[in-house]
Parts: sequence; structure tokens; C-alpha cells
Amino acid sequence: MAEGKETRRISFSLSDAFRLGYDNIKRRFRRAALIVAAITLGIAFFSTLSLMDAFFKAYAQAEGSSLQVESYQYWLVLVSLAVSVVSITNSMLIAVYERYREIGTMKCLGALDQHVLKLFLVESVILALVGGALGFGIGLVASIVSVGFTIGFKVFSQTPIGAILILFGETVSLSLILSTAATVYPAYRAAKLNPVEALRYEI
Amino acid sequence: MKSDNIIETEDLARYYEVGGETIRALDGVDLKVRRGEYLSIVGPSGSGKTTLFNMIGGLDRPTRGKVVIDEVDISQLDAYELAWLRCRKIGYIFQTFNLIDTLTALENVALPTIFAGVPRDEGTKKAEAILRSVGLGERLNHKPLQLSAGQQQRVAIARAMANDPAIVLADEPTGNLDLHTGTEIINLISELNKARGMTIIAATHDLKMIGVSDRVVWMRDGKIERIENGKTTP
Repeated sequence: MAEGKETRRISFSLSDAFRLGYDNIKRRFRRAALIVAAITLGIAFFSTLSLMDAFFKAYAQAEGSSLQVESYQYWLVLVSLAVSVVSITNSMLIAVYERYREIGTMKCLGALDQHVLKLFLVESVILALVGGALGFGIGLVASIVSVGFTIGFKVFSQTPIGAILILFGETVSLSLILSTAATVYPAYRAAKLNPVEALRYEI
Repeated sequence: MKSDNIIETEDLARYYEVGGETIRALDGVDLKVRRGEYLSIVGPSGSGKTTLFNMIGGLDRPTRGKVVIDEVDISQLDAYELAWLRCRKIGYIFQTFNLIDTLTALENVALPTIFAGVPRDEGTKKAEAILRSVGLGERLNHKPLQLSAGQQQRVAIARAMANDPAIVLADEPTGNLDLHTGTEIINLISELNKARGMTIIAATHDLKMIGVSDRVVWMRDGKIERIENGKTTP
């Protein structure tokens, strides 16, 4: 059969996914902003405490103080991150419902389940990068203000630049992990959508 | 050697269970569609037109019977091959256009070429050429909501053509259009059928669509009532 010899290629490259994902975020800006806010808030709290901890440690080494972040505060961070994950999942699920027809159409045009999955995960990565960076920025300001007013701004003469950069990397990674974890289920729902039902769906 | 029939269905049936009741959306349809013909499917809503389309497009699996496209029984295909079929062999035109609002006309038409693995520049060029051929050369960068209903349907038709499919399935393409625009759209589809030799299957309950078709299939209650030749004037 001649058919078998044709190269049956279906593709959706990462750069295509980024382009479509970016377009979509721009267009549905309010929903994206909501998701970014959920990430930013959790990450801001996390990075405030970890930056304060870094400042205290640097200060303690230089001046011999025993200031530190209390362990119960880390529990609060954990709870706030969990709340972030839940609200990202919630927003993403609504985003999937809003885009039922769009997903159905893409499947009619030849998109595979994995392409839909990829699109949603890529969007979540973009939002996580923005939210992570924003959250870290807020955390940096908050921790400087907080530490500065409790023990004085002289602390920052021993600013641990290296430690802050490492924390930035860790924070953005955490943001990526949380956002991806929160998006897996909604993205899977979208990918498994039956195109016949999706196209019949009216919002 | 390819057969004269691009699509054949054999005793095709699709039943749904709704609240313990069996709905026979399609109930034993034998249909042979000839390569390059313009086939209209006419029937009241609920007569099984859309279900038949979903079967031919590989979007839904039959309860009984089979669909053969180019001598391949599509129930034997896996998900990847079905996606390939939808991408390369079949173009869809919907009543509600189903354009992606976030993308421009050009990007909408180029979308199927992305899945087909066509390099981006090439896909965009092709999309532009097709949009020009349907008379939207001045509207390339408009978003769907900036276009009239007729223009949106033209974009959708251009999108259906993007990968040069052998078959175009048009489900009530004029259902959301006024009389004048609807006629224009039908003439456009008919031109594409003649110029590109694509097989067109158009579902409708709009009798003015029948005039351009080679054959008309009348459906009722999931069955073919009768098939007659269209174009009474030669």
C-alpha cells in the first residue's frame, strides 16, 4: 500500500508552543494575571523569609548575634505555597473550560493529546517564570524593609550577594515546580478532551 | 491504483445511551463518495448529519460498521494516524467557524501547517496565498472578532484548505450567515471544489446549497432516505 510509505509526520515544536502560549497569555491577560498573582504571593512570602534568613546569617557571622527565622514561620510558608498550588489548579481548570472549543478545534486540525498537554504546560512555565521573578522581587524588598527596621540598615554592609543569587535560582525553580505540579491535572483534562463534545460545548 | 470512491461507509451505525434510552444517531448508512465530487447531505436537525461527519473525520468511533477512506479502514488507525488523517487528508468547515480568537486570520490559517510540520515561513506564505485567493488579502492581520461573519467563514475555509486536504467536510457552513453571504460562501466552496479537485461533503438544511452539488443525499432518522443527482441543469 502506497499510503504506508508517506511520512506521517505530525509536529508541534517547543517554539511553536511558546509562541501560541505567549499569544494566549497576552490575549487572556486577566486570567493569566490571576494565575501569576497566585504564584507571586506564595513565592513572595517564601522568598521574604529565606532572604531574611540569609541576612540574619550573614549578620550573625559578622557580629555574633543569634537572630534567626522561627521554624513556625516556615510552616506558614508551606501552607501558603499549598494555597498557591490549589488556586493555580483552580484557575487553570477554568481556563480549560473557557477554551473547550479552541482545544476541540485544534484536535480537529490534527493536534495530538500530547500537543495540547504541551501547550498548557508551556503556558504554565511562562507564568511561573514571571510569578517567580515578581515574587522574589517583592520578597527582596519586604525582607530588606523588615530586617532594616528591626536591626538597622547597617546589616546590609555584609550583603551576601552570592547567597541571594543562589536563593533567586532556588525560588524560580520552586515556582516552576509548583506551577507545573498545579497544571498537570488541568492540562491532562484538556488533552483528553473528546473533540466531538468540545465542539458542541457552549459557554 | 486508487479506487474511484474516496470514502465508503458500510452499515455505519452510532448509538448513544441517554438516560437508559438508546438513541440511534446513525443507523446503518452505506454511502460511497466519489473522488472530486460535491456531495450535499440534507436532512432535518437530528437526522445524523453531524454524527456522520464525525465518523468520516475520525473524531468518533462507530458502534457498528466501518468507514474506509482511500481504501484504509480508519477504525484500524491509532491516535497518531487519526491525527495525521485529520491534519492532512481532511479539512473542516464549521457552522460556528471555530476560529481561534487569540490568533490573526493569517495565524489561524497557518495553524494546521504547524501540525503538518511545514516550516513556519513556508506555512505563513502559503496561508497568505490562500487568504488572498478567498479575497481576504487586506485582512491578514485582523483578529476573528474584527471580521464580519462572512469574512470569518472565509478564513475558516482558507484554514480548511491549508494542508491541501483531499476531503473537505462542511457542517452547515451557511447556518450562521445571511442569505447573500451564504450564497457567496457556497459559491466559494464550489469554486474550490472545481479548481482544486477537492471532494466536498456539505451538510445543510439550506436548499440553495443543493444547486451546486453533484449529488444530494437525503437523510432522516440516522438513515439515508434517498440519493439523487443534483445540478438538474447541465
